[in-house]
Amino acid sequence: MGREALRQPSADVHEIGNAAVTSEPPLLSVQGLSVRFDGAPKGVNVVDDVSFSVRKGKTLCIVGESGCGKSVTSLALMGLLPTPPARIVAGSATFDGRDLLTLTERERADLRGDRMAMIFQEPMTSLNPAFTIGDQIAEGIVRHRKVSKAEAMERALDMLKKVRIPAPEKRLRAYPHEMSGGMRQRVMIAMALSNDPELLIADEPTTALDVTIQAQILALIQRLQEETGTAMILITHDLGVVAEVADEVAVMYAGHVVESGPVQSIFEDPQHPYTIGLMGSVPSLGRRQGRLATIRGTVPPAELMPKGCRFTPRCPFSDARCGNELPPLGEIRPGHLARCWYAPLEQKRGAAA
Amino acid sequence: MSVMAPTSDVILEGVDLKKHFGGGGLLSSPTVVRAVDGVSLDVRRGETFAIVGESGCGKSTLGRLLLRLIEPTAGDVRYEGRSILKLSKSELRGLRRELQIIFQDPYASLNPRMNVGDIIAEPIWLHNLASGSEKRERVADLMRTVGLLPTHSDRYPHEFSGGQRQRIGIARALAGDPKLIVGDEPVSALDVSIQAQIINLLEDLKDRFGLTLVIVAHDLAVIRHMSDRVAVMYLGEIMELSETDALFDNPLHPYTQALLAAIPIPSPANRQPKVLLQGDVPSPAAPPSGCRFHTRCPHAQAICKEQHPALEAAPDGRRVACHFWREIQGAGAGSISAPPPSPALAKRLALYQTWRERQDKPVATSP
Repeated sequence: MGREALRQPSADVHEIGNAAVTSEPPLLSVQGLSVRFDGAPKGVNVVDDVSFSVRKGKTLCIVGESGCGKSVTSLALMGLLPTPPARIVAGSATFDGRDLLTLTERERADLRGDRMAMIFQEPMTSLNPAFTIGDQIAEGIVRHRKVSKAEAMERALDMLKKVRIPAPEKRLRAYPHEMSGGMRQRVMIAMALSNDPELLIADEPTTALDVTIQAQILALIQRLQEETGTAMILITHDLGVVAEVADEVAVMYAGHVVESGPVQSIFEDPQHPYTIGLMGSVPSLGRRQGRLATIRGTVPPAELMPKGCRFTPRCPFSDARCGNELPPLGEIRPGHLARCWYAPLEQKRGAAA
Repeated sequence: MSVMAPTSDVILEGVDLKKHFGGGGLLSSPTVVRAVDGVSLDVRRGETFAIVGESGCGKSTLGRLLLRLIEPTAGDVRYEGRSILKLSKSELRGLRRELQIIFQDPYASLNPRMNVGDIIAEPIWLHNLASGSEKRERVADLMRTVGLLPTHSDRYPHEFSGGQRQRIGIARALAGDPKLIVGDEPVSALDVSIQAQIINLLEDLKDRFGLTLVIVAHDLAVIRHMSDRVAVMYLGEIMELSETDALFDNPLHPYTQALLAAIPIPSPANRQPKVLLQGDVPSPAAPPSGCRFHTRCPHAQAICKEQHPALEAAPDGRRVACHFWREIQGAGAGSISAPPPSPALAKRLALYQTWRERQDKPVATSP
């Protein structure tokens, strides 16, 4: 048994807003990112006007359900979107002073796996079954560093030790199928961190894993993040995971960021009806509190997507205006934004209405 | 569900059930996987009984054994006091009406070439329950019951979303008027908001039709919410069997304690250092000697490696398979405490619920 300390949410979340103004610029700043799939109805972008930023050493969690655009966003940032059908139609992503979206393919490839790296959900399909673990980790090191193959293997061994894989010398020569799901995910993490990236994007890194293994992997990622100061974007649908690892949270629904802010603010004072419905949908771990709150229906298909707020057809509070006019991401208080005409709800939608 | 079953008579019973895969003839694999290895349990009429564990613990195999969808290597299954292993084919077919199953992947379990009306009507036709317009009326009824529009009965499974497909699977399971339904991870493939809809639906149906539910799942929050009693499995064996609240308030077995400790708590204000279980689940083809959990157990001693602990009785009708459950009680890894929602969240949730109910009233569409 090992004791893994979980980080407390950083102190500066309490002095919301200050940090953004006073300290250094964020490592990554995404502004108005819009991605469109060819053939989608006019005006319906799969990711629409998405903005967020990540600071050095901090964790941003993007949370949302299937189809909300969270994975498309991360692939766009990594330059891994297949074009066609996907096209980035607007926006910028400033990483360390350069706009990622204007870089050439070659420049992106130089960044990828070096200064920014990604961990995927399914460790089996993301590892090459025909090469050993050691070869696969070393490949990325040789690509970005002026080192010999032997030196790269040495580094790969170090990385396996770092992610606490038992008997790392033996595992270096193992193939992916010889390892369990949890071990494969550790290999993915070792691979992603092998060039000391400044930004790590983790797309549902623990979704395919059992709960005890998930806890191990989350603790590992956090410990490594503390050691290396890597910033992280963690994409997940699990509010429990968000509560445990996030500094900042962006809630996405059908391609829009509907709410964003510091993690404590989001969990203690959620503003958007979708965020509230999502929290009510998760069974509590405490004693049973009656029936679950539900969100009506499902995400509408693209051709039926409302012009205004995309949550309108499912939202209990919505009216005609919601469907026609897209509400702005309004500031509820410094750093905490919500895209709803009626936030805060108890003032504008008190029970009497 | 919170309300205990009024009667506590046993509807379904597994007696020392074993299922070993492989190791049979010339062509099968030489390694024997002991997927389920000596499990006894009883499911009481009207309750929701949960079987929980990590992948490879044998929980799905156990669910299938209880319905005789696969034949056990040893042991017995009794439904209403009668062994179902000796039934003839036609008797078994009659039994299938009363014992139904809902699968995890709602797409893989529906025939893509049949329309939804036919999928739901199949059990009705198979058991000669109705025909002609009566059958169609019944299908329409079932579709309304699970929150689907009867006008969609001529559509095919691929035209529905995951949540709707799970509703189709539930309608089909209900078609033969079952007494007991086994749900094999019925909500784990669904998004959170859809998952909540299906959980509420299953609970409504259970009340309305007086069903008994056996839920096989890995999500402990879902289990706490839905079930009356829980069996925790590890490598083919039951480690602990208890009423739900007692299990979550005071887990006795070190594996249950570790499982509960691993759940992420949805409250950022209460981040605490965790004691985590190390290592992976050993292969069920070569389970550890003695107590199967001893390789990962923080409390293991010499005896755990040698002697297999029996599932012994603990207070309040609980059962636990550990040599040291008395000694390790309250040894730190205890219950999980989910802090109550913040005042602002509680207020908005209440407001949401009020408006949500209003939303359902004017037009009766699917919830």
